[in-house]
Amino acid sequence: MMKRVMAVLVAFSMMLGVTACGSSGGNSAVPASSGSGDTGSAASQQAENTGKQPVAGVAWYNFGDTFIANARTTLNEAAAQDGKIKVIDADSQNDIATQTNNVNNFYTQNVKYLVLNNINTNAKADIIKQAKAKNTTLIFANTDSPSDEEFQLYDKVYHVSSLADQSGKIIGEQLAKYWKEHPEADRNKNGKLDYIMLLGLQQHYDTQVRAKYSVQALQDAGIQTNLIQEAICNYQRGEAQNQVASILQARKKDVEAVIACNDDMALGAIEALKASNFFKDKNSFIPVVGVDATKVGVEALKNGTLLGTALNNPVTLGKSIYKLMSLLEEGKEVTQENMGIDGITVKDHHIYINYVGITAENTEDASY
Amino acid sequence: MNEKTKFHPKELIINNAIYFILLALIIIIGVISPNFFSLDVFRDIFMQSSVRIVMALGCMFIIISGSADLSGGRMLGLAALVAGSLAQQASYTAKFWPQLPEMPVVVPVLASMLVGVAFGAFNGWAVSKLRVPAFLATLGSQMILFGVSSLYFNKAPNNSQPLGSFTEGFSSFGSGSVLEVPYLIIVAAVCLVAVWLLLTKTCMGKDIFAVGGNPEAARVSGISLFKMQMITFTLAGLLYGLSGSMEAARTGSATSAYGNAYELDAIASCIVGGCSITGGVGTVGGVFAGVIIFNVISYGLTFIGISPYWQNVVKGLIIIGAVALDVRKYARKD
Repeated sequence: MMKRVMAVLVAFSMMLGVTACGSSGGNSAVPASSGSGDTGSAASQQAENTGKQPVAGVAWYNFGDTFIANARTTLNEAAAQDGKIKVIDADSQNDIATQTNNVNNFYTQNVKYLVLNNINTNAKADIIKQAKAKNTTLIFANTDSPSDEEFQLYDKVYHVSSLADQSGKIIGEQLAKYWKEHPEADRNKNGKLDYIMLLGLQQHYDTQVRAKYSVQALQDAGIQTNLIQEAICNYQRGEAQNQVASILQARKKDVEAVIACNDDMALGAIEALKASNFFKDKNSFIPVVGVDATKVGVEALKNGTLLGTALNNPVTLGKSIYKLMSLLEEGKEVTQENMGIDGITVKDHHIYINYVGITAENTEDASY
Repeated sequence: MNEKTKFHPKELIINNAIYFILLALIIIIGVISPNFFSLDVFRDIFMQSSVRIVMALGCMFIIISGSADLSGGRMLGLAALVAGSLAQQASYTAKFWPQLPEMPVVVPVLASMLVGVAFGAFNGWAVSKLRVPAFLATLGSQMILFGVSSLYFNKAPNNSQPLGSFTEGFSSFGSGSVLEVPYLIIVAAVCLVAVWLLLTKTCMGKDIFAVGGNPEAARVSGISLFKMQMITFTLAGLLYGLSGSMEAARTGSATSAYGNAYELDAIASCIVGGCSITGGVGTVGGVFAGVIIFNVISYGLTFIGISPYWQNVVKGLIIIGAVALDVRKYARKD
């Protein structure tokens, strides 16, 4: 065991060595849907400008996350094309210690902007104080907002993120609409919507809020709800599939809906439901909702298994972060007009990325 | 599972502790929730175990030969991605390889096994030729594998989107069945029998045990350590690769997060199933029971609606308990 601990330490120190180098804006991956094909010229443009460019350090929570990968590509491309601000980024690997190291590393490199996809959500005040001491503009991205008191600590703090409660509300409303239009969905005739809740990570802010507001939306629509079972599936499809299979064996006749905090878990639930003879025909349909509108999720909407999902647009996030920095760099005011990006709401130092509800009727809205 | 029920009750319990624990667990869960005793439940458990069985069998070669392998989970992950990328429907608009035609199910399965063999052989080479301790060599390849998986997954036009929309053939490999027996269970059963034959009925199997039991003695008696390490790591890779395409087919998807920490589950299953961490000891039946026990815990505790956090507590206790019994078993032999 001691060996393993040592090995893990060695591993982390090695990985830090790699991530500390960061990676520059010229990301080779080009999103097919964004349609910007001129990475080459952008990269050369960036090379010309590497003199006294202001540098932005971006600490993403996890490069392996699909959403982050898309946001990251967008931000890096925006920086490469514009050339005003140089973006370097680092992978926090979903680990607070790693993220702290990333941040310190950026400070050592004298970044002018620090974009933090913060996972150390209880240390926001300390993080803000540190940024103030370093006179670095701090942008909390894709994470929960600092409180009003925390904003008071330093004037150069911004927050760019979606509102997690919006995603919960949207999928709750989708489910409520289905429930009201389909009285037969109350399979056990108890007058209540009996649902399974699939959570991502227990302490994860998005998970908690999505779970809370989806059920809230159902109740606001006048629907009585009954939680059959809650399962923590770490946002993983396979785990959701395993756990839902087990729940179905135990309480199949009571299950009337599945609320999943992301599409992967929703699709895992659908696999388990299929194996349990649901989705055979119109009568064996069972509403399942997720969040993210991934490509496979949208495919499931089209083939009639997934009922609905909510899109948090990573491209909008990436663009908004860059635009914010670019406005600050030009000394312009951060307003809705100056930002000039669709699907966002600017409020003081907050830029909210709006969720979009996606069902089989508007799958085209899910492409970005 | 436990046929020999006479004489030396204490010894019998210690020697077959794993089976007794498994039985006790099933009985406890069944008493709390009697509808646990149904064919569907057991089919579910075997189905969920199938991928882990194949993976644990791979791990078993390594452990019996006295080595260690931390790269298995990520190898499964990369193999799942490769298999998934080659198993997509031609009509799917977000195809990983837009120019490739639809392919029969054997292509992705063989490709995943090839990935496993390549990285397994690399592990074997790093351990035997470069003389990097297995622990570190496979830790290194674990990182390489994760990196390669992430790069592959992020390749345009996929850009880290979960893979999906698999061909009918590949989907039915994961969820179809013949005479009510799912294909994945058949694959796992074939692997169990094959590994059992290989380990107990062939010279190579005996050599693997010999190398793990006493490498010095094995070397003196003419067994090539290089050869055995290459063989065990490559065989393990083959099985990890196969389990990758099984996992992709079973879940109908693949991402770069697949297989994360599966190697630790596999190692735990082997150890709980009676493989000695110092090598030279282990049975296919034990490993099978080791995998089943963990799946019974996670399935069963969800079944009776117990918090998932308890699952980890119970699993941890069982690992410690099983190893404690294991140590006693050998202590008495000395």
